Amino acid sequence: MDTLKIDRVSVRYHQHTAIRDASFSARAGEIIGFIGADGAGKSSLMHAIAGVGAFDGSIRFHNTLYRSPAEAEPIKSMTALMPQGIGLVLYDMLTVQEHLNFFADIRNINKDASFIAYQQRLLQMAGLEKFTDRRAGNLSGGMMQKLSLICTLLHRPKLLILDEPTTGVDPLSRIELWDILDQIRTQEGTIILVSTAYMQEAARMDRLLLFDEGEIIALGSTEELIDSVRPMTYVLSQQTDGITTRDATYSIKPLDFAHTEPTLEALFFVNALKKGRSLPPITLSTHHEDYVRDSVIMEARGLTKRFDGFIANDCVDIRLKRGEILGLLGANGAGKTTFIKMLLGLHPIDGGELELLGRLIQNTSDRQTLKASIGYVSQHFALYNDMTVRENLLYFAAMRSIPFEKAVDKTLLYATELGFDIYLDELPLNLPLGINQRFSLAAALLHDPVVLFLDEPTSGVDAIARAQFWQLLIALKEKWGISILITTHYMSEAEFCDRIVLLRDGKKVADDTLEELYALHPNAVNFEDIFLEYYR
Amino acid sequence: MNRIFWAIVGKELLAFIRSWQLVLVVLYSFTVNVYISGSGIEMKPRNVAVGYVDDTGGGLSQKILTRLHAPEFLPPQRFGSQKELSRAIFDKEIIVGIVFDADFEKKWRQGQKTQINILLDATAASQAYTTLGYLQNIIFDITSPDIPVEIASHKLFNQNADNHTFMALTELLSIITMITVILTAVVFVREKEQGTWDIMLLMPVDPKLIILAKSFSQVLIVMVGIVISLGFIVMGIFSVPFNGSFVAFALLSFFYVWASAGIGLFIAAVARDIMQVAQLSIVVMMPLIFLSGAWTPIHAMHPVLQTISLVSPLRYYIEGTESIFYRGSGWIDLFPYFTGVIAVGGLMYWIGFRKIGRLF
Repeated sequence: MDTLKIDRVSVRYHQHTAIRDASFSARAGEIIGFIGADGAGKSSLMHAIAGVGAFDGSIRFHNTLYRSPAEAEPIKSMTALMPQGIGLVLYDMLTVQEHLNFFADIRNINKDASFIAYQQRLLQMAGLEKFTDRRAGNLSGGMMQKLSLICTLLHRPKLLILDEPTTGVDPLSRIELWDILDQIRTQEGTIILVSTAYMQEAARMDRLLLFDEGEIIALGSTEELIDSVRPMTYVLSQQTDGITTRDATYSIKPLDFAHTEPTLEALFFVNALKKGRSLPPITLSTHHEDYVRDSVIMEARGLTKRFDGFIANDCVDIRLKRGEILGLLGANGAGKTTFIKMLLGLHPIDGGELELLGRLIQNTSDRQTLKASIGYVSQHFALYNDMTVRENLLYFAAMRSIPFEKAVDKTLLYATELGFDIYLDELPLNLPLGINQRFSLAAALLHDPVVLFLDEPTSGVDAIARAQFWQLLIALKEKWGISILITTHYMSEAEFCDRIVLLRDGKKVADDTLEELYALHPNAVNFEDIFLEYYR
Repeated sequence: MNRIFWAIVGKELLAFIRSWQLVLVVLYSFTVNVYISGSGIEMKPRNVAVGYVDDTGGGLSQKILTRLHAPEFLPPQRFGSQKELSRAIFDKEIIVGIVFDADFEKKWRQGQKTQINILLDATAASQAYTTLGYLQNIIFDITSPDIPVEIASHKLFNQNADNHTFMALTELLSIITMITVILTAVVFVREKEQGTWDIMLLMPVDPKLIILAKSFSQVLIVMVGIVISLGFIVMGIFSVPFNGSFVAFALLSFFYVWASAGIGLFIAAVARDIMQVAQLSIVVMMPLIFLSGAWTPIHAMHPVLQTISLVSPLRYYIEGTESIFYRGSGWIDLFPYFTGVIAVGGLMYWIGFRKIGRLF
């Protein structure tokens, strides 16, 4: 019999429906994965199941049926929710042991011998037994997440709800987190609901729920799901009907091509095709400008950045060439954003030399002239939300002293080529994330920069928009000869980069082309494995 | 250069108009808020609850009591004994208690010295003491002593001695300070909150130009607010006399608003989010308004505070504005106020400018 049964649950915020008619059930000891982009409804459903938010429909857990947070009160002694965000449930000033005591006390747990033994086992699983008197504020992101997890496990919950526990955590800690979950579900028979941003983690789950635009679009084991889209997946072709990504073409109509092995992401593409919903295509025209390929655009020698007490970047050497996509990879806190901000002059440089476009950067006036040849897209595509897309672009053009007529032409040209011309008079907040991504890129391109710095431009964006964004970046590189420095914590995106720099705790640990890295690590199946090698 | 300046100003005005909550707050402050403080704050006695104990059997005591009438006083309430009256004063039902002793009227008729006992709830100090003054006047009037002196008073500048006009104007000047500080700070802090701060820094534009243009856009908004408030509330509803030059007032306000914008810049440099802007604004503004003479006349302050008040630009602004409105002072006479606002205000803007400039 199913221990947990969710029956047509919907969550609404004012006019907006976060999740519509979600139904599924789970047995004891099962791990159910929630996969989907930001805003697809994963967190809303989790909060409904945990009984911390109002919802429509009904949920049954063991023998308790509840339709509202008040009715869910009896099950709260058996459930645990770990919200999204690293270290959100922790207190910086408390030590690891103090956290365990505190969480045991608020759960009113009797601290008998069996509890002490259980707590010791949890600490060992998390590898924290040596750090019991360290303050949470001084733990790394991975350790914080492990501590948060064992704190939520102290009362031996039978239903564990984890909202993106692994996002931004280094790969080794991620594997350890999954190991803890595996042990808990076998030893305690706990149902675990876990959402993730990483498709690769699907392998560790018994069943998957795929979320898109507030709906569950598919439910089943990884194999079942992949089987369901096999007939729609073809080898790469120049087919205009379907969706073509880097390595495959998807189409609902039968095509005269061979089939290829689909990935989980294929489900999102096929779903978009079935609903006839896809972002407008990108048609970039070639810029006929002469430039020397392989000339050095940016060279950092021993770049160092110290914040009080710790070193965010320690003697990092990076060279970026013309017409190259350089991926800067690393977990949260590895120093990616700090490095980009140093390049941009937003953080002063504490050590080392920086040469941009053949010019040594020494003072602010060097920077001022360089700003004209750099384009930057910040995390979460920050733009002015009170102004329409067109007004934003015209404003940026004015700031760059581009003549008004030229600015109007250019806005229109980019809008057509990047496929957001129908959204020109909308406010950014009302647009899909994928469109915001394109138009913030357009804003960064208005002044024809030769180099683009992109800080996590793909985090939280759905699979389709991500695939198209990468196509756009590659087109920019090939047709316009633009150099791109991009940071990401999705290891799978390394496959799109010409060269990869791996950062770990502010230090550079690898700097090579993808092929060379694969050659160095012959056992690696995907880039995730290579990354892991450097974290061991 | 010029185009960038106007592009920033235009963008900020657009952003202001599109955020209707902010527009509403500003409109409310300049209209309803000024109206409320103009009509609500009352220095004269009004609706004062009077109680009395009368053991004389009427006559003179009633004659005195009939003089206490609306709107200053509520109809006097009679109490059986002084104990009951004291109880009522203690319970805040009565503010002024009058006790007529049994031999009060007898002694007066006999031409002897007689006395009325007055109990005042001095927690409502100003109302209680003005009431006392009223009572003294009434008795003075009834007894009409034989001194052949008559007081002929001539009220200057504010013929009705109406403090509504004064309060409304002072409130407007305080509101100008508050709104300018908050708007200017918010314009910068919103960029921090939305994450556009970095993008702003990366524009190949002189930071000085950005700061100036952003401040200027908010100065414009406040100037429009001043005109609205002046037209509809201060002169429309309260009919504050306007004897001087409008140009002089507009110019003085313009300089003063820039000074307040300087405080806003300072706060913007320190605050991380809008919440902190609100908190810091209150901390900075309170002493500024206290020291300006808006609530207490400067000459009534402690000498130390009087000296400190010299650095509050609001002091010069208030004195200058009063001169323009009530006295109709000419340009020459306004010279000290202009000098004060420009000197102290210029210094304040410069400090704020330097402070936020360091973030660029």
